[in-house]
Amino acid sequence: MTLNFLIAPDFAPERFAGWHMLNTTLQRRSGIHLHLLTPAGAHEQAELLSVGKADLVYANPFDATDMIRTQGYIPFARPAKRYDEMVIATGAESGLSSVEDLKAGCRIALTENKDVKLIGLRLLEPADLTEATIRWVPVDTYQAAARLAIKGEVEAAFFLADAYASLTRMSRSQLRVLVESAISDISHVVLAHPRVAAELPGIAKALLGIGQQPGDSDVLDALGLPSGFEPMNQEEAEFMIDLMDTLLD
Amino acid sequence: MGLPDMALPPAPSKEARLTYTDGTSRTVYATDLEVPFPEGRLIVSRTDLAGIITHANDAFVEMSGYAREDLIGAPHHILRHPDMPKIAFKGLWDDVAAGKKWHGYVKNLRKDGAYYWVYATAVPNIRNGVIVGYTSVRRKPSRTRINELIPVYAQWLADEKAAS
Repeated sequence: MTLNFLIAPDFAPERFAGWHMLNTTLQRRSGIHLHLLTPAGAHEQAELLSVGKADLVYANPFDATDMIRTQGYIPFARPAKRYDEMVIATGAESGLSSVEDLKAGCRIALTENKDVKLIGLRLLEPADLTEATIRWVPVDTYQAAARLAIKGEVEAAFFLADAYASLTRMSRSQLRVLVESAISDISHVVLAHPRVAAELPGIAKALLGIGQQPGDSDVLDALGLPSGFEPMNQEEAEFMIDLMDTLLD
Repeated sequence: MGLPDMALPPAPSKEARLTYTDGTSRTVYATDLEVPFPEGRLIVSRTDLAGIITHANDAFVEMSGYAREDLIGAPHHILRHPDMPKIAFKGLWDDVAAGKKWHGYVKNLRKDGAYYWVYATAVPNIRNGVIVGYTSVRRKPSRTRINELIPVYAQWLADEKAAS
């Protein structure tokens, strides 16, 4: 039996090897063959999900909402001590020092990460900015967003906080953080399709146990999740979804 | 049993007697000191169906000025500011009890009599088709919108006092 393990496409490229290391470790400890699916973007992920390819999913919280509530996916784990936060930054030479300095018509660079956009829009409300009053500049990568902000071609850029922290020191020195979210309640979620409920206890035990054996820290460091994973039950996931719901408008 | 009267804060304050929807009342003291909303954060709480607080995140605890153990088990109206007209909350309980989302700008009262403005959203917690409680999330509001609402709320409050 082979289960497909889909990883949300919003991880940094340098974490790619880490996901393969995790997959190998999970297979060895659970005794279940796992096939890793790493879609390149949100569109490819949606296609894989729509044809029912994913048995296990490391989902971003925005996607997890629909998967749990309408498709019956079972939440069972999340990264420990690792929340999804975002940063709004401007070029160091922009002259802007707070979110309230951004005005209607300002240009903001962003990737296709929906969570980042959603949280970012909420953080811009104190500046009386809405989705319609911003000139959005779509980019493929956070590095591209940083370049546009540094060159002054946008007034601000949205970043996943982890991605901002992964920018080079040189890049960060040419940027200024206007605001960083500190929500501490929203995280990625590991989900299982209900058709693999019988295999779930073995997989959950293997995943939650990573960090307890020699060499495990190499896997977790490669993933950028040094504290590993912690259990997440249905109600904890529902709580997070209710919270996300309040941020939709 | 209702909430105890507030302690008189050291800063100059206005005294008010608030009567809540559960029929209880208490004396509160409101100062002119505003505490800014913490940047980048959300204030999150959950209540049961009767509006009793069952969960408060760290930002909620810090901004309220109360200890977490004072908040858990207390009615959510522990934060009610005397400057807030009842009509500003009109629809809140009706909307969430009907399974809908509610939004509103709210001036909250801290334990020390100071205040903080929020943009509040409340949603029902629906589990297996049944509403089991409510989640409220407060975020940093638009100052423009608050400045527009201050005279509106003051007028509504005056109208309510005149009618009572």
